Amino acid sequence: MAKPILQVRHLVKYFPIKKGVFRKTVGWVRAVDDVSFDVYEGETLGLVGESGCGKTTTALTILRLEEPTRGQVIFDGKDITKLKRRDMRKMRKGMQIIFQDPYSSLDPRMKVKDIIAEGMLTHNMLNGRNVYKRVGELLERVGIPADYMNRFPHEFSGGQRQRVGIARALALEPKIIMCDEAVSALDVSIRSQIINLLKDLQNEFKFTYLFIAHDLSVIKYISDRVAVMYVGKIVELADKKVFFDDPLHPYTQALISAVPVPNPDYKKKRIVLQGDVPSPANPPKGCRFHPRCFMAMDICSKVEPELVEVKPGHFVACHFYDKKGGNS
Amino acid sequence: MKRTLRKLFSNVTSLIGILLLLFFVVIAIFAPVIAPPLSDDPYNTPRMSWDINPQPPGFPMSDNIRFIYDTMGKKVKWNKAIFGTEGGGYDIFYALVWGTRTAFKIGIITVASSMLIGLFIGSISAYFGGWVDEVLMRITDIFLSFPFLVAAMVLTTILGKGLDKVMIALITFGWMGYARVIRGSILSAKEETYVMAAKALGIKDGRIIWRHLLPNTIFPVLVQGSMNIGSMVITAAALSFLGVGAPMGYADWGQMVSFARNWIIGAPGHAGQYWYTVFYPGIFIVLFVLAWNLIGDTLRDILDPRLRGEL
Amino acid sequence: MMAKKREKLLEVKGLKTYFFTENGVVKAVDGVDFDVYKGETLGLVGESGCGKSVTAFSIMRLLDYPGKTVGGRVVFEGENLLEKSEDGMRKIRGKDIAMIFQEPMTSLNPVFTIGYQISEALKIHLHMNDREAMAKSVELLKKVGIPIPEQRVHEYPHQLSGGMRQRAMIAMAMSCDPTLLIADEPTTALDVTIQAQILELMKALLQEFNASLIMITHDLGVIAEIANRVAVMYAGKIVEYSDINTIFHFPLHPYTFGLLTSIPRLDVELKRLDAIPGFVPDPLHFPKGCKFNPRCRFATDKCREEEPPLVKVEEGHLVRCWHVDRVKEEVKNGLLVGV
Ligand SMILES: Nc1ncnc2c1ncn2[C@@H]1O[C@H](COP(=O)(O)OP(=O)(O)O)[C@@H](O)[C@H]1O
Ligand SMILES: Nc1ncnc2c1ncn2[C@@H]1O[C@H](COP(=O)(O)OP(=O)(O)O)[C@@H](O)[C@H]1O
Ligand code: SF4
Ligand code: SF4
Ligand SMILES: [Mg+2]
Ligand SMILES: [Mg+2]
Repeated sequence: MAKPILQVRHLVKYFPIKKGVFRKTVGWVRAVDDVSFDVYEGETLGLVGESGCGKTTTALTILRLEEPTRGQVIFDGKDITKLKRRDMRKMRKGMQIIFQDPYSSLDPRMKVKDIIAEGMLTHNMLNGRNVYKRVGELLERVGIPADYMNRFPHEFSGGQRQRVGIARALALEPKIIMCDEAVSALDVSIRSQIINLLKDLQNEFKFTYLFIAHDLSVIKYISDRVAVMYVGKIVELADKKVFFDDPLHPYTQALISAVPVPNPDYKKKRIVLQGDVPSPANPPKGCRFHPRCFMAMDICSKVEPELVEVKPGHFVACHFYDKKGGNS
Repeated sequence: MKRTLRKLFSNVTSLIGILLLLFFVVIAIFAPVIAPPLSDDPYNTPRMSWDINPQPPGFPMSDNIRFIYDTMGKKVKWNKAIFGTEGGGYDIFYALVWGTRTAFKIGIITVASSMLIGLFIGSISAYFGGWVDEVLMRITDIFLSFPFLVAAMVLTTILGKGLDKVMIALITFGWMGYARVIRGSILSAKEETYVMAAKALGIKDGRIIWRHLLPNTIFPVLVQGSMNIGSMVITAAALSFLGVGAPMGYADWGQMVSFARNWIIGAPGHAGQYWYTVFYPGIFIVLFVLAWNLIGDTLRDILDPRLRGEL
Repeated sequence: MMAKKREKLLEVKGLKTYFFTENGVVKAVDGVDFDVYKGETLGLVGESGCGKSVTAFSIMRLLDYPGKTVGGRVVFEGENLLEKSEDGMRKIRGKDIAMIFQEPMTSLNPVFTIGYQISEALKIHLHMNDREAMAKSVELLKKVGIPIPEQRVHEYPHQLSGGMRQRAMIAMAMSCDPTLLIADEPTTALDVTIQAQILELMKALLQEFNASLIMITHDLGVIAEIANRVAVMYAGKIVEYSDINTIFHFPLHPYTFGLLTSIPRLDVELKRLDAIPGFVPDPLHFPKGCKFNPRCRFATDKCREEEPPLVKVEEGHLVRCWHVDRVKEEVKNGLLVGV
């Protein structure tokens, strides 16, 4: 098996909740709460979960665009949580991110060529003269004519802007790219173009992707392995096929069964979950899923289940599958 | 229909603003041609008579003064105070023309300087947040807690008389508004993903502020600034009026109005006799302020919808 | 599921709604025809900007300047709504035709309690008094599955979660027992498990109230789940119109066909997505001829010159395309996945 390029260990990110005139901290949003996983070189790890479960925060803390509260991020063998601001800036070259919103992620007052060139110039990859030639090549590679480089972002459609965002990340020749809902905001017909582009680029440049999405259909198409988050925690992680064909965690099962399939003849047993996703500011005790779980047992409301490897490469955080729960 | 009317109207007003500003710019540029100076310092308004009382429009230069200029070898190209004179015989027309330059100087220098200070403090404060923000905003609050006019007056009194002192005072107590506005817009702009994207590329903080944040947030400040250029001139005039501004005879509209106050009422039985001492500088100040206000409005109209369309 | 005696509830014919903007006339809805029968659900599907919401607003006559319905008929229970007085229209809105929006936060008034907002419609349309209306509101909230409704009626929209707000919105829409419900992307802003709840709820309520639904969405999965018949929109026009099985298994318009082969889906393993090239045209610069022609792999010179009409291909299956035969060939050859 390939070696892990990114190892996330017990990553925690709490945001303070401030109240009153004195902005006193009255509590914490436990956006990411002890998350550990590996991403192997050249693979696509899908990270899925409902909104607010901590996917974006996970990506941002890995990149240290948000400072982690605790935990380690080991990139290419180096613990980057200990790096100084300046060294971290250099490290950014190896890890890039593509954002969800193709509109707000490009500076509206900069020409596209400068948006793409900025990173290369910052990291002294090319000098001023050659950089625009490279920008042209990158634009062509992502499917935009090179002579559009003098335009401003608002002169492009959403799909094209997302291509520019991809070119910007591509420019630094990173090892790993985090795609944070990179196709979620796009129209149906544009979405598949971008997904194809991302796949092609991966084949060509051997990128590793951490692909974040809330859409399971997209995750299924693009990922090699899939991790599900629920209220700040990873509850299941497995190879794609196992994940979709034989999910173990009750939440995963419900999630998969809830996805509408564009086929009126597709029959499936739907598990409709009761209630809402709890707030990470005040997660339920024990298993965070227990108020909605259709398999909940006594222990579930008291003890938080750990993410354990129940089969090789298949991790689940559920009492039903560990020794204490009695089953498995 | 209503919209087109409104648009037309706003176009008319902006046209007026531009024409007015152009008018003042032309006067300022061609001041030496329109009113050739008679002394080494062109801001010294020449006197048309030694009389303590103002003289009416069309008053000719008195002979003894003419004689002095002649013996000095100065060629006097004009010899009529077409707008009359102030008390002390200072030529109103000349002072108005050169006062235009003074007005631009006061307006642009004070606004540009306060804007720079405000931009610097506001952007640092908003971008870094935390204690930096806390400290800088407390300082801003302290400056804001002084009533502007009183504070400026006290400072000018301490520094001494003169327009440069007035300007220093106006800058010292004039930057806070810009700092606040820019801080507010940067606070919201820095939440935009493109700032996050720039950080993710490894770009330095200074460059993020300079290349990404300021270009996206500076326009409200520019609008505010252009509107303030006019009001700075009024404030300077007010300080002159309170006696801490330019000395008598200096080509400055504020100074003119200030010294005209002795003549506003006129001699007993001749109310409004000396109207020209207030009227001409007054109208210049009003038009100057109006011009900048209209320009500010126009700027806002131009910048805002386009901004909205782009984002 | 389709009623045997199909009674027409709503007939939209040649509906045209334009926006008269500074940059030109945006033909947002340009000749849309469809019918809604009693008790059925019609899915209106298409990508953003194709005119779905404007169609809905035109039916409800909720458009403001610069939008204006410039042609067509909207016949609801025998009456052309476009010719009704504003007063007459107010009597229909919220009573006979109700609407549910994508973002319940913006369509619920933040300063009034949920109960007050539901009661309002009851008082106006059904002439209930305060007490009756409040009691009915509690009952409605219970019906849409809001826990502790007695307490929730007194709460404000921001105190509810997204899913609960959408439920409250549905309660409001159902309050006067409408015969037609128009739902504009009601689940788009929701998470999938909440979306599943809302879809189940809507299905149950439609049955109970025997109401018809126009379900507007861009999600073909949601359509497959809830609709009986489907109208596919592209660039302000209906391009294909048929029953649900035909649309998903035997689509005849290249756009429908392209959509179905391009989306990732859970039910089949796809090697590569067959993406539709290009992008949705800007409504101010629609291409000449068939509006889909720059993106269509079947396009010929005729397509680039002349706009095809919406024609009946089979009973109950209308397609707007010159080359239906060629698409038919491909569908027959089993190129469509999941058949
Ligand atoms: N800067 C922040 N300050 C406070 N809370 C935050 C911040 N960013 C995210 N959160 C909270 O953290 C939780 C996880 O958010 P996020 O990572 O964006 O979720 P996802 O990307 O899965 O939708 C949410 O409850 C969100 O409100
Ligand atoms: N107020 C408006 N002014 C101008 N154009 C509008 C306005 N509202 C909608 N449109 C245009 O009408 C078209 C259809 O919009 P809409 O019905 O909202 O699409 P959707 O299918 O996403 O609901 C779009 O091209 C949009 O640009
Ligand atoms: S631990 Fe208990 S409550 Fe949590 S998912 Fe497993 S069975 Fe359900
Ligand atoms: S009419 Fe021509 S361009 Fe339009 S969909 Fe049919 S084949 Fe394609
Ligand atoms: Mg997110
Ligand atoms: Mg819409």
